Amino acid sequence: MSLKDLRAALDSKQISAVELAQKYLDKIDTDDKKINSYITVCREGALNDAKAAQELIDSGNSGAFTGIPISVKDNICTLGVKTTCASKMLENFVPIYDATVIEKLKKDKFVMLGKTNMDEFAMGGSSQTSYFGGVKNPYDTDRVTGGSSGGAAASVAAGLCAAALGSDTGGSVRQPAAFCGVTGLKPTYGAVSRWGLIAFASSLDQIGIIANSAFDTGYVLNGIYGYDCNDATSSKKSEGGYTSLVGSDISKLKIGLPKEFFGDGIADDVKEAVLNAAEYYKSLGCQLVECSLPSLEYAVSAYYLISSAEAASNLSRFDGIKYGYRSGLGEDFNDLIKNSRREGFGDEVKRRIMLGNYALCSGYYDAYYKNATRIRTQIRQEYADIFEKCDVILTPTAPTTAYKIGQQENDPVKMYLADICTVTVNIAGLPAISTTCGYDKNNMPIGMSLIGKAFDEKTIIAVCDRFEHDFARKEADLK
Amino acid sequence: MRYQPVIGLEIHCELLTDSKVFCTCQNEFGGSENTRVCPRCSGMPGTLPLLNQGAVKLAAKAGFATDCTVHNYSSFDRKNYFYPDLPKAYQITQFESPICTDGYITVCSGKKIRINRIHIEEDAGKLVHDDYEGISMADYNRCGVPLIEIVTEPDFRTVDEVQDFVEQIALRLKYADVCDARMEQGSLRVDVNISIMPEGSTEFGTRAEIKNLNSLKAIGRAIEYEIQRQSEILDNGGTVVQETRRFNDNHGDTKALRSKEEAHDYRYFPEPDIPPVQFTDEEMEEIKKSMPEMPQKRFARYTEEYGLPNDDAKLIISSRAFSDFYESAVKINPDYRQIANMMLGELNRNLNDTQSTIEDAKFSPAELAKVVKMSSDGVISKNAAKDILTIMFNNGGEPESIAKEHGFIMDNDASGLEEIVDKIISENADSVESYKSGNQKIFGFLMGQVIKAAGKGANPQLAKGLLINKLK
Amino acid sequence: MFDIELTRHLAELSKIEFNDEELNKMTSDMTDIINLMDKVCEFDNSKKTYALDAVDYNNLRKDNHSDSYPTEKIIENAKNVKNNSFVVPKVV
Repeated sequence: MSLKDLRAALDSKQISAVELAQKYLDKIDTDDKKINSYITVCREGALNDAKAAQELIDSGNSGAFTGIPISVKDNICTLGVKTTCASKMLENFVPIYDATVIEKLKKDKFVMLGKTNMDEFAMGGSSQTSYFGGVKNPYDTDRVTGGSSGGAAASVAAGLCAAALGSDTGGSVRQPAAFCGVTGLKPTYGAVSRWGLIAFASSLDQIGIIANSAFDTGYVLNGIYGYDCNDATSSKKSEGGYTSLVGSDISKLKIGLPKEFFGDGIADDVKEAVLNAAEYYKSLGCQLVECSLPSLEYAVSAYYLISSAEAASNLSRFDGIKYGYRSGLGEDFNDLIKNSRREGFGDEVKRRIMLGNYALCSGYYDAYYKNATRIRTQIRQEYADIFEKCDVILTPTAPTTAYKIGQQENDPVKMYLADICTVTVNIAGLPAISTTCGYDKNNMPIGMSLIGKAFDEKTIIAVCDRFEHDFARKEADLK
Repeated sequence: MRYQPVIGLEIHCELLTDSKVFCTCQNEFGGSENTRVCPRCSGMPGTLPLLNQGAVKLAAKAGFATDCTVHNYSSFDRKNYFYPDLPKAYQITQFESPICTDGYITVCSGKKIRINRIHIEEDAGKLVHDDYEGISMADYNRCGVPLIEIVTEPDFRTVDEVQDFVEQIALRLKYADVCDARMEQGSLRVDVNISIMPEGSTEFGTRAEIKNLNSLKAIGRAIEYEIQRQSEILDNGGTVVQETRRFNDNHGDTKALRSKEEAHDYRYFPEPDIPPVQFTDEEMEEIKKSMPEMPQKRFARYTEEYGLPNDDAKLIISSRAFSDFYESAVKINPDYRQIANMMLGELNRNLNDTQSTIEDAKFSPAELAKVVKMSSDGVISKNAAKDILTIMFNNGGEPESIAKEHGFIMDNDASGLEEIVDKIISENADSVESYKSGNQKIFGFLMGQVIKAAGKGANPQLAKGLLINKLK
Repeated sequence: MFDIELTRHLAELSKIEFNDEELNKMTSDMTDIINLMDKVCEFDNSKKTYALDAVDYNNLRKDNHSDSYPTEKIIENAKNVKNNSFVVPKVV
């Protein structure tokens, strides 16, 4: 059911908020053992939320999210509810404040079903690096969900929530949405406050939405966007009304296809499905424009250097002293934190921290970190040039579909290269939405991404919705 | 061999803002452990810094106070290092584009000491050590207190220059309400970079950095000790190691702080959570206009235009409130010398006696100006002026009515005084005899008797003339 | 060239303890990763580096304090607390 229909069902008392919450909790109880999409399920909290929501509904004052059951990625701080970042380091960390997005949804009395599983500290594209075990794909539980918001995507795909909040630093909302056959929106950098999002790479992180449809992602964005005085990088440029263009005429739009995104590294069935989608838009009257992002070849390296540099610094605060895992070993301060970090962090997190410090350390800074930021400027410029000629850009969301668990997560270079289709959007701070545009021979979903101009989420949502309207999705079947 | 020391300073000053630099906790000294702390300044996951406009403004003012170029554009960076008093494990500071650069202060030797930069940063917390249990305890109340760091070029060659510079910086920042500069409380802390080179050489030696000196005396002693320590090393054919040292006030020596310099790579990079700050020219101009006149300008005016001796001028400017009082008084009565004398004499004596400051004075600069005017106009005697000031100091009141009430108005009628002089001469025949036979000293005694008999309003000049005449 | 000495140095900067086996594994992983990263060194370094858009001075947070958090909230996630302070092994 769409969020709009859920809203109507709740407001017309076809179902009570408590019944609805209970329905989802029951489904989580039976189905989540198969996919491990939640780290924490808020059984009591969700029912309390639902009771409060029902009171609001009964009083006739319901808002857009009153009683709507939503899952929250476990790197978004929730007051009084464990927020682990899927790490041993924060296994028992209970935030003393709410993230701005949570505060906004709480004003409406939404129902928080629980905290979803992810790659540790959002570093990864498989959701297999979680300290609490990997997430499994609802379409095929032998396969990965993608990541890092794999729990969020799986919870939506398996019907274990109505919508999910995730976060996207280099594709972490779009790619798992693609792998799990649902819709994922990464808003413009600055559109949604990062206050309370546990930082991975501050200049790239953005809270995003995974839901059943483009319309639903816009519905949720309407509730969480906006300038926040707690986040100096949040923007006043967002205008809201993210679903306002849905259903409008899109036939005059120009859709750019940057040729570098359809090169050798992209699987044939993925390429074919995305190009079919392009043909669909053409059949509506849209103009397809071949364009180019020449610096794409530098993007993965630049992305990993910038994000790891920021991560190395952001994750320095985890030393076992103020919060988080504290080792029993360590005669002095130095030993204590080195052992706490050794025991508290997983391998991929350690690699990123090491890489980040490599990029920043004396003697390497200019060649690596600084050059990466030059590439960043260049990629932003190249996108600006493309948007001179196009309204939206269409690309694959990932080079492949979801692969078998254990197939490539242990090869960091392979994993990093797999981010090629998504990272430039974060580097340029642009909004992008991924939706399913086909299925491969194993019936695994294929994702395509629509990239928009900064703060123009409503156009890509409308363009995406148009496609979804005429596309027959296959439901995941958890047996 | 004789050596020439080469010294540069890094001075940390806590800014007088209401809130901390990146959060809204109160910026105040002391307090029980972790009572002025929030998720931001304790480095909780998910929090973000929120730059305080007040801190930026005060940093700009510090730049204007030291003849720096204050930049319309400045940005923030992270300095990464692990220490238990630094909860985020990075300090937010300004590295690439500091708010102020290229200033200077002229010190006592006449030399211009160049200021390389002034940047904004955050203070760290405090550690309390428990030797018995072998633990340190971290209190984050001071975390995020706004600081500026003033970095000089290595232009100092003597302790006097260093101490004068620090005194001038402290005074200027106090004038501009940037920092209260209480070294004993740590609101102004000085790091000294010092190396030595053979006299006549131009090639600097390897420097040591002495951290966190908290008095002018400690600065002097630490420098003297370092000069000697480094000289001995060089004289014995050794080499000075670049290192950070701590001065021990009890022993008067310095000790190396860290032996491992390997982890000394701060990995600066642009702070992604804080956008750079941009001033319009108008905003900058407004801050500049809000600057009070700086003490060194006042000193120049006092000595060059007002004709005050250097020492007097220095004393007056040593407190802004005191100097402001003087400014207001001389605006009403431009008797620069006499007003300075009255303030540095009688007023200061009263302030010292009562352990109070000029802010506590019960009278206005106008009233002080009036007392001095009455004295110079011959309405009251100089001594009476002092007495009136003391009365005003203790009880307040208007000078003229005090003078009248206490009989300080000088009596310029010679006839009454003549009677008194005659009477004193006749009552003190022995003394008169002694004076006439050449004992000049006895005149003072006779004069005293006349004034005593004539009362507070007596005109001493008149009395003196009469007495001399009558004794002829 | 990436070698075990560089791994040791980075481990020290990163404040992560590794045993010898882990150091070797990390060195091998990092060698491959840096190989990929070396791509950026080919980029034209005369181009401009990136910076966030500046914010106007006038739009900065005004200097007004508000209440801090209760001390017990600040320390509630810490494993070792004494005198309402965070405890570490004694430093210097």
